[in-house]
Amino acid sequence: MPRIRQARVRRDIKTRETVAATELIRQAYRYITRNEQIHSRIRQQAQLMLNALPRETRPTTIRNRCTETGRARGVFRDSRLCRYQFRLKALNGEIPGVKKAVW
Amino acid sequence: MASILPKPNKTRLAQLAELSAKIFNNVYNPKGERTGNKILRQKLIGPTIVEWYPKRIITLRKITDMFPSMKLVDQEEKLRLEEIAKRKKRGKGAPKKGKGKNASFAKKRK
Repeated sequence: MPRIRQARVRRDIKTRETVAATELIRQAYRYITRNEQIHSRIRQQAQLMLNALPRETRPTTIRNRCTETGRARGVFRDSRLCRYQFRLKALNGEIPGVKKAVW
Repeated sequence: MASILPKPNKTRLAQLAELSAKIFNNVYNPKGERTGNKILRQKLIGPTIVEWYPKRIITLRKITDMFPSMKLVDQEEKLRLEEIAKRKKRGKGAPKKGKGKNASFAKKRK
């Protein structure tokens, strides 16, 4: 069993949950700020409200981590594993449709 | 082929465009202002984002707690506790609160 970086993974789970919870209100503010047919003062206020939201509500703070080890870099999106875990599992035949190339 | 009718002027054409937009339920936006509809059209990513990590509903700890009569042992946890006990015997255990390296630094600063 590989060691999991629990704290980082937990933090990421929490940010994901907060982003999902505040997504609607964020999009509403974003719509108001980008709409040129609305009065400029209201648009500005909406932008300020958007800026005042906490950091975890921004979708860019989400990091795709390896589900096996919690590694943040070199993670494949479709298997959700980092490159080494992907290799180990693929060689073990645990990932369907993946075969080592030989030519 | 030249038409017999005179060409309609610009305002008339604009009125026509507005009316046609009204009839066919289109957006009439002659200045090309940004309406922010792009944002309304975006899909919500929340549901897909949340399910990145597989949820482990049943853990070993839960099972051992559920059936105490079976006396199941978490091998990894047992090894860890044994290691800690060993280190403590040799005097290499974790320091008590206020006795560590960082704690003594903090005292000096005050």
